[in-house]
Amino acid sequence: MQPTATISRLKAAGAPPRLSGFAQWADRHFKWLLVAPAVLLILALSVYPLLFSLVVSFINYDFQVPGHAFVGLKNFERVVFDPVARWSLWLTAWLSGISVAIEFVLGLLVALTMVRSFPGRGVIMSILIVPLFISPVIVGQAWTLLLQRPFGPTNYILTQLLGQEVTIGWMTESPWLYFSLIIADVWQWTPFMFVILLAGLTAIPPNLYEAAELDGVNAWQAFWAITLPHLAPMMLLALTFRLLDAIRMFDTIFIMTGGGPGTRTYTASYYLYTVGFTQFHLSQATAGSWLFLIFTALVVMLLVRRLLKTEPV
Amino acid sequence: MNDHDKRDFLAGLEAEVDALMRGETTRRTFITRFGQMTGMLAASGPILGLMTDWALAQQKLELADAGSPLGQAQAAAMKASMEGPADGSAFRAVEAAKTHSGVTLNMTYEVGLQALDPRNFSGPMWEQLTGMKSNVVELSNPDQYSKAVAEHIAGSGAYDVLDISPAWTPSLADGGVIAPLDDYIAKYMNPADLEDYHPLYKALPTYKGKIWGFFDDGDMFALYYRKDIFEDPKMVEAYQAKFNAKLAPPKTWEEYAQIAQFITDQMAPNVYGAGHFRKAGSPGNQFDFLQQYRANGGKLFGDDMKAGLVSDAGVKTLQNMIAANAASIPGNNELDAVSLWAAFLTGKVAMIYSWPPSGRMAANYSQSATAINFIPQSQIAGKVGYAVVPGNPEHATGFNKALSADSANPEAAYLFMQWVCSPPVSLARCMLPYALRDPYRISHFKSELYGALFPSAKEYLSNLNSSANVGLLDPIMPGAQDYFLSIDRMCTAVWAGADPKASLETAAAEWNETTDRLGVDSQKAFYTEFLKLPGATADNTVEKLGMAVTL
Repeated sequence: MQPTATISRLKAAGAPPRLSGFAQWADRHFKWLLVAPAVLLILALSVYPLLFSLVVSFINYDFQVPGHAFVGLKNFERVVFDPVARWSLWLTAWLSGISVAIEFVLGLLVALTMVRSFPGRGVIMSILIVPLFISPVIVGQAWTLLLQRPFGPTNYILTQLLGQEVTIGWMTESPWLYFSLIIADVWQWTPFMFVILLAGLTAIPPNLYEAAELDGVNAWQAFWAITLPHLAPMMLLALTFRLLDAIRMFDTIFIMTGGGPGTRTYTASYYLYTVGFTQFHLSQATAGSWLFLIFTALVVMLLVRRLLKTEPV
Repeated sequence: MNDHDKRDFLAGLEAEVDALMRGETTRRTFITRFGQMTGMLAASGPILGLMTDWALAQQKLELADAGSPLGQAQAAAMKASMEGPADGSAFRAVEAAKTHSGVTLNMTYEVGLQALDPRNFSGPMWEQLTGMKSNVVELSNPDQYSKAVAEHIAGSGAYDVLDISPAWTPSLADGGVIAPLDDYIAKYMNPADLEDYHPLYKALPTYKGKIWGFFDDGDMFALYYRKDIFEDPKMVEAYQAKFNAKLAPPKTWEEYAQIAQFITDQMAPNVYGAGHFRKAGSPGNQFDFLQQYRANGGKLFGDDMKAGLVSDAGVKTLQNMIAANAASIPGNNELDAVSLWAAFLTGKVAMIYSWPPSGRMAANYSQSATAINFIPQSQIAGKVGYAVVPGNPEHATGFNKALSADSANPEAAYLFMQWVCSPPVSLARCMLPYALRDPYRISHFKSELYGALFPSAKEYLSNLNSSANVGLLDPIMPGAQDYFLSIDRMCTAVWAGADPKASLETAAAEWNETTDRLGVDSQKAFYTEFLKLPGATADNTVEKLGMAVTL
């Protein structure tokens, strides 16, 4: 189109209305206006609380001790030298590692099973992902009802199956209480792994498998040579997302074990909650949150770096 | 502008002109619509707020059948508020509060059943009497402390009346969160109504010589047992043969464990001797340990404020508790208060000790309210006896009504507190089937109307009064939450197999750390104040101080 044609079309449309001073200013700063609400929200809801929490971790901010005196690293020291904090960090790593590993293996198996079409696949998939939509508190409550003695049916069913009386304290006896927490987590989050991995599997070009078949490659070799390399980025993505979520494990523990017996099921989140909202030592809890954030950030950095390096074959 | 740039410019211009001609969104229209949308969002806030207020607003005044004991108590409360006696605290509060008509009082309540009373009964009745509205803010138990402090620090004046645990009084008073009531009491209250409090509860809101609230919930532990089992001739005979003693409600903790084990041996799996709420985080462990430990002669702190837990009394207490656990229903250590009630009400357990609603639930009175229908119907109604917990029962927390120091309407808030805790009004509130407020006034224990609520209500009230006569108070001092948490951790660790002595040492170390953190001298001063209260130790119960109430 020629410039004269454009100009004549503009003339035909009539002269544009005159802009007011504000409209002109808005027009000039349009891009800033667009991002301003989001920036303000982030500043108000993320940056300010983050900076405030940093300040709080260096002062006394305890609902039982008057005043807000500067205490240096005292709050951090309290967390570092608290055996309960150290245990909770270890348990967080251990529980989340085991849970996510099991969820990954189960999710992959289910995804591999469901990748091919078969009658009823849609219904089964819908049922499989239902746990994803349930609040973790409800999941914890449901597993409590199943496992808690004397009302839960688990021991009764096991007794009937094994032919001898089973009297396991699923939420009070070690190691069973860890099994209970892992089972609840795995039940809820395996579908997450499944969904992500299934998406990855369906994205692998089928002609690769057809070519492999023509070359006489068996199923196991195809899995190692085609599926695994192509699925690797999705696997890492799923593991990263899930691990980040798992290390915040709180709800099911709050409902199922209450952190007990003793402090045996204190995860980092549960520890921070207890210090902050049961004992009201807010500055200690804040300092602990910062330490926990640093540990988490290290894990995230490692995973994200690896994720960014991964390229499909 | 080179040719390439010119082409790009013209293409862009053409696209913009086309969009303009088609009437598509331009920057200006976008800004206009964005402004409109922002305006709508801003306007929607108050609209949504109104809808929320409407949804959460107190209900219409909910009154029981006029012929029922509760209905009569409610009518009496209304009459006392409107007609007097003229020197009654309820009447005087209402008369004075009429000048504050139109004021809205913001009051904190524990979330759930506790908040139904101000929503359905006392709030609407107060509004009807005075024209003052009430806004009930439901909070979880820890938040009833933390939010009150946070709002005080922020200076928001968000609350007028606070429902607090008595253990928090010193912290909140010293922190300036709550205000003393002495001047208001002198001006408005009938002193006789203050004297109507059971002596165990009367002094609870007193700290450093001032009154910081009105006690409002008699959370006294009591023993509830199956009379039909204890009176079963076969059981009585078997117990006599085995122990050469009469099968009766236990007087000591050793006897308690022995009886529980005997019933379990005789009747399990149909009925077990006892049940306790021992789940981590449910407060049963702390209350039970504290009552048994002190009944066994244990001291909470030494003269130097070091924890006294590591002692013969501590070891004995844990051993008794372990013995009781072993004699209890399977899963005893996994039960919380509600599941323990379920076990008792369904007839699976012969003895429990817990809060006063246990008796009302066992008689199927509480379950008459739909709000509390998550509790199973009692299969043991008419079969339950009441006794004082062996040794000294714990007064397990309770509630004080306190006046927020930041209230914009302190006098109005005070008048509500005086009215709602006055003898006739508090009686009607304690009789509500769902409210979980338990009798605490002498007039409650003597009330004919309460005594007519269910067939054994008089015995029930009498036992609560007897329990209060020998009852022990939770420690009332800063750091109480920390001390309680350490006990809970210690107990649950022991239930899971940890060594009692080592666990006592761990808990004692945690107590000492808490004391050091809060300041040894300061904590000592608080503890000294606490020890002055009747019921602070097993040696100065109300009964031992010669102040026991006989009905």
